[in-house]
Amino acid sequence: MVRAEYRPYFLLSPALISLALLLLAPVLFIFVYSFWLRAANGQDIPAFQFGNWITVGGDPFYWLALRETFKISAITTVICMLVGYPTAYFLARCRFNNKALLLFLLFLPFWISYIIRTFAWINVLGKSGFVNSVLLGIGIIDKPLSLLYNDFSVIMGLVYFQLPYMIINVYVSLDGIDRNLESAARTLGCTAWQTFREVTLPLSLPGLGAGSLLCFVLAAGSFVTPRLLGGTDTLFFSQLIYEAIISQLDWPTGSVLSLMLLLSLGIIVAVYNRFMSLSDIYRSFAK
Amino acid sequence: MSADRPDLGWNGLQLLTLCVYIFMFAPIIVVVLLAFNSARTGSFPMEGFSFVWFGKLFENASIMDAFQTSLVLAVTSSFLATAIGVMAAIALIRYSFKGKAVINNLLSLPLLMPEVVLGVALLMFLKFLEQPRSYMLLLLGHTILSLPYVVLVVQARLVGMRQHYEEAAMSLGANRLQTFFAVTLPLMAPAVLGGFLFAATLSFDNITATLFWKKPGIETVPTKIFAMLRTSISPEINALGAVMIVITVALPLVGGFVVRRFAKGK
Amino acid sequence: MKFGDSKKYERLLEAYESGDIDRRSLLRIIGAAAAVVGVAGGPLGKLTKSAMAAAQSIRFDGWGGIVSEAFHNNAFPPYTEKTGVKVVEGEFGDTDEFLSLVKASQPGEYNVFLVSGVYDYFRFCQAGFASQINESNIPNLKNVLEPTLVAFRNESEGKLSAVPFDYGVTGLAYNRKYISDDEAKSKGVKLLWDEKYKGKMAGYDSFQTRPWMAALYLGQDPQDPSDIKAIWDACRKQRELVVKYWSSGQEFIDLFAKEEIVLSDGWSGRVASLQNSGQDIGFLSTVGFAWLEGLYVLKGSPMEEAEQLLNFCIEPKVAIAIAEGQFYPTSLDPTKVPMPDSVKKLPGYDDTGKFEGYVWEKAKFWYDHQDEFKKEWSRISKGG
Repeated sequence: MVRAEYRPYFLLSPALISLALLLLAPVLFIFVYSFWLRAANGQDIPAFQFGNWITVGGDPFYWLALRETFKISAITTVICMLVGYPTAYFLARCRFNNKALLLFLLFLPFWISYIIRTFAWINVLGKSGFVNSVLLGIGIIDKPLSLLYNDFSVIMGLVYFQLPYMIINVYVSLDGIDRNLESAARTLGCTAWQTFREVTLPLSLPGLGAGSLLCFVLAAGSFVTPRLLGGTDTLFFSQLIYEAIISQLDWPTGSVLSLMLLLSLGIIVAVYNRFMSLSDIYRSFAK
Repeated sequence: MSADRPDLGWNGLQLLTLCVYIFMFAPIIVVVLLAFNSARTGSFPMEGFSFVWFGKLFENASIMDAFQTSLVLAVTSSFLATAIGVMAAIALIRYSFKGKAVINNLLSLPLLMPEVVLGVALLMFLKFLEQPRSYMLLLLGHTILSLPYVVLVVQARLVGMRQHYEEAAMSLGANRLQTFFAVTLPLMAPAVLGGFLFAATLSFDNITATLFWKKPGIETVPTKIFAMLRTSISPEINALGAVMIVITVALPLVGGFVVRRFAKGK
Repeated sequence: MKFGDSKKYERLLEAYESGDIDRRSLLRIIGAAAAVVGVAGGPLGKLTKSAMAAAQSIRFDGWGGIVSEAFHNNAFPPYTEKTGVKVVEGEFGDTDEFLSLVKASQPGEYNVFLVSGVYDYFRFCQAGFASQINESNIPNLKNVLEPTLVAFRNESEGKLSAVPFDYGVTGLAYNRKYISDDEAKSKGVKLLWDEKYKGKMAGYDSFQTRPWMAALYLGQDPQDPSDIKAIWDACRKQRELVVKYWSSGQEFIDLFAKEEIVLSDGWSGRVASLQNSGQDIGFLSTVGFAWLEGLYVLKGSPMEEAEQLLNFCIEPKVAIAIAEGQFYPTSLDPTKVPMPDSVKKLPGYDDTGKFEGYVWEKAKFWYDHQDEFKKEWSRISKGG
């Protein structure tokens, strides 16, 4: 029998070992690989040189791609905040008897294949898609709008995917607020708006922050959505990684690109963690 | 409370929430509708009602193959992830020990890691260890992808579980192992099942990392759809979408219903 | 397919030829032998399925959509009925992807595929997948156009790894609702750089087609460019006008059918398919180039079955039926095999069989430049 004080470590060891072998070691490995020399025949040569880093780092194209990726992710996150917060507020404060059902409905699309939900947008936004045929039908427009294969459709697809994450995070933190605090504020003479601004909003910030970080990180790492819904103007970093690794078989460059994305996201997570606790993110999964 | 609410604002909120729900369901409805469109282009306005695309779908053996691969992969990887994850969750909930906070954060790491990066890293690492892309890579990959979710979901369920029953069992002379299998595990069953289902869903739905890990020629359902988007006509994919929607929505609903009936019967 | 004991295989064949065992039993025994020798699979039994099934069935990979449908409906059912060999069908969106699949597979996993163009034929041979077809096993070869046979033979040291099957043209496709034939004819390739159609055009996502069009636009020879930098710059400029680069024929059809675009370079067969389904799409074949498609047998395939399948596919009746289904003219000699009107009016069809005035791709040029061009195009396509 394992001694009591070692028991938790014993229980944790399979998880920690798989984490070390399947996550930390591979990431360390691509770090090492990023210094290797590329050989045309695919047998890259182990080396320690900064050529790959210098080539990628000195190429404005990759920085442009990173900026574009973060820009789209940021816009997605802001939209999710603006739409998700009020929705979560309504869900948390409404007096509907079966709130669990409402939340369940919100997550119902989540059970449907991600790729099917994504490609569904082609049918909605296309020139002969749902939106255009409705607008044409009632005569608001006389030429179909270009809604597909641009940044708009990519953002739409990303928001669609991430909105429930935001809503559940905010909902959980709103739901956890002691309602007596709000009543007290009202009793002390605050207006409804003041109460919201001074009491409710600050208390729900951790949920909003957690939802936003999750949205941003998921959006910045997305690959399928921009590929299916994006057009020629769409430049997403993960696509460059995919092409370097799978199409061009240029693994050293692919390693550098992967690490570039990982590091820049890591910085964002670290900054977030400096001000808010990461554990808020995990709380929403309790639901 | 309702008197506190400025009605205009509240109505606005209500409207917005309604719009969000429409937003969430509209694309799904569109897919199901178009699956019955008889035209080849799969676009609006619809031309006629037809089941022809469903027929085509069931003739397609490669989709059935993909379905089988996905199912086996989902079950095996979530079995592994659940076994590992439940142990970790018990440790994190039941014990206090040094380094708990760090380990907790560490275990949630894959959650914040871009899937593309994890996909690349694991692919290259296993290739370096001279393991070709194979089913094993997919299995391990899917396990590590769903592990943090399992740990979180199970942890959350365990928080509310009281330890009285276990203490009672122990005081009645059961040893630790007996207690675990006779008392703890049955009590934990919903948490374990919840974690398992979550992991299975994640695995069944995963595409990005799977694109890196899959052996050429082997397709899971999502990668198959991804390939079909380029080579098949859209009504066929819409039909597949409709079938998937029915399976993924109806099965959990029926399952939940059965479980509830079962629970009531007790 | 490699057999542990080739003597045994020969004896089996003898027994089959003398009529001691029927074809099905022969194939069953061969299949069982293949399973024993075949790769021991992973935890999923299906991983070995393709290896096991090799001799009872033959794998055929083609471009998806209407092309696969045409083969599926016209060639495979009668072939299977006659020989008992099942055809396992696969689809691919582009040849790059298929080549990487084949590279990662065991010999014999993939058998016959539809090769598009001599460049693709050449690079599959260079990658070591060239088989040697026994021409005497394909009596219908006598009907195939001589220039097409020469084109393939030239790229593989006189041997034949594929049977020419059809040909097509990459040209300019446009929606007549928005662009008149006159406008298309007078502007030609310049249409692809016409600001008027910004956001309404697409193009094939190919390191070959893109610089080709740009070279024509600049008045250069696409296969002997004088200023490659200018060509890539023109590609960059055109990118501003393009809404989507498509990468499969089905995507091309969808983009036109759903009116996402009104203009794109495209393949003659897919244009004909659009026209056939009632879309008013015009096609300018003088811009672009022609290519030859063939049925390529990959090294390691069961040759006899493959040759039989090939012979079946170029049986005049079958080939014409497929041509009508997939909208590419057959490479059978129209002076030997009378072509119906349905084939004669296909875009790109040549009634003389001499292909005068056709511009063909030069395999070696594209092979020598493929790495450089692919990398450059991949970058430009994303705005780099």
